[in-house]
Amino acid sequence: MNNMSNSRTPKAPSAEEMALIKKFLNDTTLFLGPDPEIMQNHDLMPRSAEEETAIASFSDVHTIAKIRDRIQSGCDEGYEMVEQMGAAPGAKWGDVITGVYSASGDLAIASAGGVLIFSALVHHPIKFIIKNWLNDPTVGVREGDGFIHNDSRYGNVHNTDQSMILPIFHKGKLVCWVASTVHEGENGAIEPGGMPSMAESPSDEGLKMSPFKVVENYQIKRDILTFLQNSVREPKLQYEDMKVKLYACLRIKQRIEETLNTDGPGALVSTLRLTMENVRAEVKRRISEWPDMTVRSYIIQDSTLRENCVVKINCKLTKTGDRLIFDFRGSSPEFTNRATNTIVAGLKGMLAQVFLCYVWPDLPRGQAAFAPIEMITDPHSIVNCSYDAPNSQSLMSIFTGFTAGQHAVAKFLYSCPEKYTKVHAPTFNMINTFIWGGVSQHGETLGNLCADLNGMGAGAVSDRDGEHALAPIFATMADIGEQELNEEEVPFLQLVSKKMTRDAIAPGKYRGGQGYTMVVATKDSEQWGFMTTCQGAKIPPLQGLFGGYACGCYPLSKVQGIDVYDILMNEPEKFRHSIEEIMNEQPFEGASYTTHHMGMGFEISKRGELFMISQGAGAGYGDMLERDPVNVIKDIEEGLISSETAERLYKVKFDRKTLAINFDATNQARDAERKARIARSKPYSEFVKDWSKPKPPSHLKYFGCWGDDVSTLYMGAQDKTRDANTPRPNYMPHPKDVRIAELEGKLAALGGMGGEKQ
Amino acid sequence: MKRVSVDIGGTFTDCFVVWGDKYVEAKALTTHHNLAMGFNEALGKACTVLDLDLEAILSEVDSVRYATTLGTNALIEHKGPKMGMLVTAGYEATVPLSRARGYGEGLDNLGQQDMPNAQRPDPLVLPHMIRGVRERVDFEGRLVMPLDENDVRTQIRELVDRGAQIIVVALVNSVVNPHHEQRIEEIILEEYPSHLLGAIPVILSHQVAGRKGEYVRATSAIVDGYLHSTMYHALSTLEQNLRAHSYERPMLTIHNSGGMAQLNSTDALQTIHSGPVSGIGASEHLAMQAALGNVVATDMGGTSYDIGIVVDGGIKHYDFNPVIDRWLVSVPMVHLVTLGAGGGSIASYDRMYKTVKCGPESAGSDPGPACYDRGGMRPTVTDADLLLGYLDPTNYAGGSIPLNPRRAKSAIEDTLCDELDCSVIEAALLIREKVDDNMANGLFTELRARGYDPKDFTMLAYGGNGPLHCCGIAQNLNIDKILAPPFSSVFSAVGAGNMHQLHIHEQSLYMVLYDSNTRNIFDDYDRFNGIVADLRERGRQDLLRQGAKAQDIRHNLELDMRYGNQLVQTTAVIPKHELNGPGDVLAMISQFSNDYGKRFGEGSQAPEAGIRINTIRVASYVQHETVQFEDIKPLAKGRRKLPPAPTSKRTCYFVGHKDSFETPVWSRSAIEPGVEIPGPAIVASEVTTFLVDPGWTFVAAKQGASWFLRNE
Repeated sequence: MNNMSNSRTPKAPSAEEMALIKKFLNDTTLFLGPDPEIMQNHDLMPRSAEEETAIASFSDVHTIAKIRDRIQSGCDEGYEMVEQMGAAPGAKWGDVITGVYSASGDLAIASAGGVLIFSALVHHPIKFIIKNWLNDPTVGVREGDGFIHNDSRYGNVHNTDQSMILPIFHKGKLVCWVASTVHEGENGAIEPGGMPSMAESPSDEGLKMSPFKVVENYQIKRDILTFLQNSVREPKLQYEDMKVKLYACLRIKQRIEETLNTDGPGALVSTLRLTMENVRAEVKRRISEWPDMTVRSYIIQDSTLRENCVVKINCKLTKTGDRLIFDFRGSSPEFTNRATNTIVAGLKGMLAQVFLCYVWPDLPRGQAAFAPIEMITDPHSIVNCSYDAPNSQSLMSIFTGFTAGQHAVAKFLYSCPEKYTKVHAPTFNMINTFIWGGVSQHGETLGNLCADLNGMGAGAVSDRDGEHALAPIFATMADIGEQELNEEEVPFLQLVSKKMTRDAIAPGKYRGGQGYTMVVATKDSEQWGFMTTCQGAKIPPLQGLFGGYACGCYPLSKVQGIDVYDILMNEPEKFRHSIEEIMNEQPFEGASYTTHHMGMGFEISKRGELFMISQGAGAGYGDMLERDPVNVIKDIEEGLISSETAERLYKVKFDRKTLAINFDATNQARDAERKARIARSKPYSEFVKDWSKPKPPSHLKYFGCWGDDVSTLYMGAQDKTRDANTPRPNYMPHPKDVRIAELEGKLAALGGMGGEKQ
Repeated sequence: MKRVSVDIGGTFTDCFVVWGDKYVEAKALTTHHNLAMGFNEALGKACTVLDLDLEAILSEVDSVRYATTLGTNALIEHKGPKMGMLVTAGYEATVPLSRARGYGEGLDNLGQQDMPNAQRPDPLVLPHMIRGVRERVDFEGRLVMPLDENDVRTQIRELVDRGAQIIVVALVNSVVNPHHEQRIEEIILEEYPSHLLGAIPVILSHQVAGRKGEYVRATSAIVDGYLHSTMYHALSTLEQNLRAHSYERPMLTIHNSGGMAQLNSTDALQTIHSGPVSGIGASEHLAMQAALGNVVATDMGGTSYDIGIVVDGGIKHYDFNPVIDRWLVSVPMVHLVTLGAGGGSIASYDRMYKTVKCGPESAGSDPGPACYDRGGMRPTVTDADLLLGYLDPTNYAGGSIPLNPRRAKSAIEDTLCDELDCSVIEAALLIREKVDDNMANGLFTELRARGYDPKDFTMLAYGGNGPLHCCGIAQNLNIDKILAPPFSSVFSAVGAGNMHQLHIHEQSLYMVLYDSNTRNIFDDYDRFNGIVADLRERGRQDLLRQGAKAQDIRHNLELDMRYGNQLVQTTAVIPKHELNGPGDVLAMISQFSNDYGKRFGEGSQAPEAGIRINTIRVASYVQHETVQFEDIKPLAKGRRKLPPAPTSKRTCYFVGHKDSFETPVWSRSAIEPGVEIPGPAIVASEVTTFLVDPGWTFVAAKQGASWFLRNE
């Protein structure tokens, strides 16, 4: 019997059979989706035979340095071209990168300026092209070809970014790639601007370009261009920037060809490879200098941009020897129909930014800087989402993941013997700006956003306050632009454009840099609207450092039912230039005054209605009772804080008229507060006993692990969980359905529903 | 022609006197407490050469012209009045936030990338001295909110009570409707009349900069206001000094736009960088007179390497938003790039790539290179140059700075030799190669970004270290000709002597030449012609006010244009100043297309996306007689003379050559025009060293000009 039974068990296929099966499956692939082998790997490709040969014959470090500098200046030149010629607002602010990639697809040298996150992402689509199109007779990769790409699932932050990728040949042989990437904005998604928070599936996210050929003989193919223009709201933008990216790549190509002609292909290949290997080795060396330890951190997202909820980004950072491991297990499960998920490569790209701008700013930009750092996530989680999950608002998870990493890293840096920059508290991490769209005063259909996202309050550093609204966490030297120029192109005014938001602070011995207020109102169009895509209206999206605090929370405020332009002309005295005054004093009769979370879906605005937001602040550093009272008073003078805040938080005693400090009284107040703190305190074990609960509260929609157990993930309710390794759908109801059900429930309770079915 | 031109730098006051057919150069130390003293000393030296006294010269010259770095220094030293500022309410933080990127303006790449260390420079206007006033106009100048005059009076009084010594007014969209700015000035005059002791100077932003951009215009007005008093007093002192010495004509001040004007037509902002800009002006004049074609002017000193571009055909390269010190401003300034590379650039070991790094850190002049023996311990480019045999330790800078080769050697040994496993000479060669590469890459990017090929250029090399490193840099760029210009030690002063009186007026606007949505071509010719006529008239009035004759006034029309919604604005020089029909518009579009294609690549043009004019600019000028150089072209190969016997020989090492060369050394003063010296060779002067690398030939020309020609 046993034999008979055994005879029904399929025999394990032989190696030969396996090969046949593999061939069959390869030959009958329905669809070349994102390849997990490519998408999950951020390390450098192994040395190729060509690279081995090149290095064997060409390894003089000084000559390599010379070639590298030359290629670097070519990338910088290409970057400058894109920034100058680009039509997308993103291009103008520096939301751009150009780079040279090895023949295997690794990013070896990137432009010195621009958005670093791309540096960890664009190698994925190139590797896809190499794997799938290089030898495909229907596609192929030839001299003069160019490939376009935007679908984040093949390696991108979100679908609003588009890349142009050109192979470079020498005597018929592929020697490297060049690429140029720009945050384009509009992409035909269900909301204008390219980053829809209303997207419930990838089908709502607009253009989804897997890497494909769009250029032949260095010419953009008109039929494909037309198709792409036809798929977006801004055909002009689509056309202009494809051309710009192509010509920037061609300029870099010229520089590479000069090297090929003077030094030969071996020198180029060797330079690209050794550059990456040297950086990778240096990163390992630097990591080995850090203390061996583990640091835990987490950040809470307070919404999905559609509804309020509590979403955990969990981070454990462990360093042993020369290994550094980011463990994001325990973070929220992915949302099946919400857009705040990210592919894991997006988060890796942002963590690369932590190291290249906040830890080792002297390191050259490229893929190698993050290559040796390891990362663990749960499958189908909010930081490693699946193919079917929407991710157009991935920035929410990328940025909060960045902050969790930045917070954890700061604790290593504090104990690190050799520092390459200062220890600092987390930077504000949300893009508190207005995304806009509609028909402009010039009759053009537009969809994009205000450059104010590029001002993010910097975290305080170990010896001074953070800078206000500095470059954003994703790009250095980014620009918040000039309103006078913006107003030429869009039909709304920023009535309050850059005014520091009083008391929007993150206190500490050194306070975080603050953000500013924006109040906008549509003026010259009947077809115009706004959206906002931020978290942090209820729970701060960052944490303070070493006793410093996170910033406060800032809702979206609206004043509707008025035309503010009539008021400005006829009753100008009624207008106030701050959210605080408008919302507290409610100076316009008959208007409605409301506050909302910061995830406003695209909303048509009538002329003269006010939409008001404020940026948050970077985190504070150290105990606020140690803040120099002189600096507290300076903050009052500069309109950063109120006198009440100075007294209540910083315990500074002063004359409110003259601002003269009473140092003795201040010291007494601070001593009293220190004693009060001791009185309020309790032993850690007692605190844990009171504080720690076995499950998340029943009234909270909570997502992610609870406590130290990362094997179980909560999905919005105490009784709804999943095993971390076993994905389950995680649907959210439509907020309007929820609201209708609520109202119907109320009506039913009042007997108002009659016989109507609920 | 009789003329005096002066460049007052941070250390030296350079003077260039043209007296008929005699050209005299002279230098004196700058006297910061009273610039006239340094000027008088320098001019006195020239007088000695000419055997004349100060009065005799100043009573006869047609003009005295000044270029100065005084403003730049005052900014760096943060010496200025306490300022108050009025802005449109709701825009109070525009200046303090400096477009978010203000922390990195004027810094090198590392300074821009290092976010925890990012820090904005100390403000010129303290945040609490900036007040919002209740008013608003829109992008077309339409009134949105009337000016609240009571509010204005309150804010002004508060600023004055807090110590404001000058008030800057910078309102949103004031360039298209300046009425509110003008009314505020009237109110300030009402409150603080100019004839009373409490009068407050007022700077209106629309009068300082004519372009849109509320931040850059505000910083322009701030910098202008900040320097106003310093520049006024310094330049007035100079003018009074001239008057006291029988000079009766107007004193002329060089502008960073590449022109000059009298003091009553000069604002402080226009004087910034006028020294280096004069150097580029001299290069332009030299290029034209000697038919040099395209020229890249390079000035390598101790800490920096300045680059300017002069191209055949008269296309001017401007920066419309240059960074001055750490401030992004709006002023049409002759394009000038500064790289952090000079003799003081510090060399270090690049642990990652196992090679040598050079700069951007600099030892400056204090402590200076290790070989200066002033406490500097880190190796610099000058230390490498010394060990490679290029510099004479006993005769550096005319013998004023003795060099200590032992210090240079130990600095290089300690920092580099063990790490690189190489000899001191090998390390020094790597330093030289690296710094030359850095400068070549900077030059390359600079030229290529504007659509030029370096090999089509002649390099002009001046500054203390220019002729020392020029062969190495040019070699990297495939440049075959280098000219160390005549009078190179006072080259900016020479440039000041060649400037024309010039005023630039411009207007930002939204003018669509081709609308890609409606497919309409611009036809509002009256609007265009009216604006051009207005700008021409403003320039004309400026020049008439300074005594120019109406018939001598000329105008150039330039349009900053772009495709679709691009950021870039490519300048097109338009010969026809009036539009009369579609043919004129299409010609304008065609001109723009040509210029754009040259810069970004033929085929990169995107007219399908629409074409716009963003700025109309008119440069109004009066041409003056210029200094005529002698024929400084190198003699043809067969006609050149042999050099005299060298004064000495030194052992020198060169990049790309394993063995040393016993290199002959000449004194520049002993080399006659037409003499040819094959490299390797050293020709030393009091102010610089001409290093002729192997593969290059030195050819002396007239008036002290020196050529480096690459051997065929």
